[in-house]
Amino acid sequence: MDHEKQLKLQSFLDEELSEAEAREVASWLAKDQEATLLLAELRNTRAAIAPFEAGIRLPEAREFYWSKIEREIERLEKPAPAKEKTSWLAAWRKILVPASAVAALVIAALITIGPPASPGQETESSYSDTGAFTYRDYDAHATLVWLSYPEENDLADAGPIDKVQ
Amino acid sequence: MSDKDHSSADDRTLVQSAQKGDMGAFEELVARHRDKIYARAFSMMRNEEEAIDLSQEAWVKGWQRLHQFQGESSFGTWMTRIVINLCLDQLRKQKRQRTESIEAMDEESGGVERQMPVITINPTAGLERNELRQRIDKALSQLSYEHRTVMVLHEFEEMEYKEIAKTMGCSIGTVMSRLFYARRKMAALLQDLRKQNT
Repeated sequence: MDHEKQLKLQSFLDEELSEAEAREVASWLAKDQEATLLLAELRNTRAAIAPFEAGIRLPEAREFYWSKIEREIERLEKPAPAKEKTSWLAAWRKILVPASAVAALVIAALITIGPPASPGQETESSYSDTGAFTYRDYDAHATLVWLSYPEENDLADAGPIDKVQ
Repeated sequence: MSDKDHSSADDRTLVQSAQKGDMGAFEELVARHRDKIYARAFSMMRNEEEAIDLSQEAWVKGWQRLHQFQGESSFGTWMTRIVINLCLDQLRKQKRQRTESIEAMDEESGGVERQMPVITINPTAGLERNELRQRIDKALSQLSYEHRTVMVLHEFEEMEYKEIAKTMGCSIGTVMSRLFYARRKMAALLQDLRKQNT
């Protein structure tokens, strides 16, 4: 018996065939003992496993099982907590940011005013509108770029960095 | 609605109360259908702890989506569909993480079930219900997740082939082949178990 016929037998058992196809299979079964035996095997297997789940019981007491569900529902329905007060790190940042900006300015001033370049050296310093400060030593092939700390407001809006959102 | 009212109310009334926020009504629904939902999860997952977790997750989802339940099917059927989808998601995740066994690959390539001799004696005849359930339990564990899932969806959930195909994301032909393989394999396994015990 080819596989297509085997699957057709199964479809007949599962009532997945049209009326015409089902009649065709029924008349084939009347003449083919192998097909009849295979159908019987499929039918026996189906009947054997049908009541399987009826005997399965949840192995937890009603109250315990429900308590976990209830807890999860309540957790998911809990409103999000209000924004917390500024953490200690954010408070420190209020002092550190302007302090570092001042430090950058002082360093820039010292470098600008500082001792003249020795023979063979050239220096260049600049302070752009973005707050970045550049110092170049062409002789040493070195460039220093000082980036000032972002403005305090940018960080405050982003929220405390020590708290995972 | 009081607890006494809950226990005497039908599912439809309980659902309506739960949809209005009555947690007690929902708890009664859970109590009534918990075994069925757990049994479906266990049939698919074959692991008690996973089945408990997934059935609870299904109940939480059921509460969240209760407003979507319009009564086209019974509440129990609606809930089993939720737990089935959760189990399928979990099984797909596990399959990606698991290396496939040779037996599973043999099952997928197909063919062996077409040549298996027909089992003429009913291998479950004369067995007591508990013993039969144990044997079926053991045999189900030996199927691959694809074959077991098709069997569960067809035999327990009573889905049609095309519905199973849509749920599992495969063709109707694949559903038919997998179901055929699963049935023949189950018959052979039950026959082997019968021989071991006689």
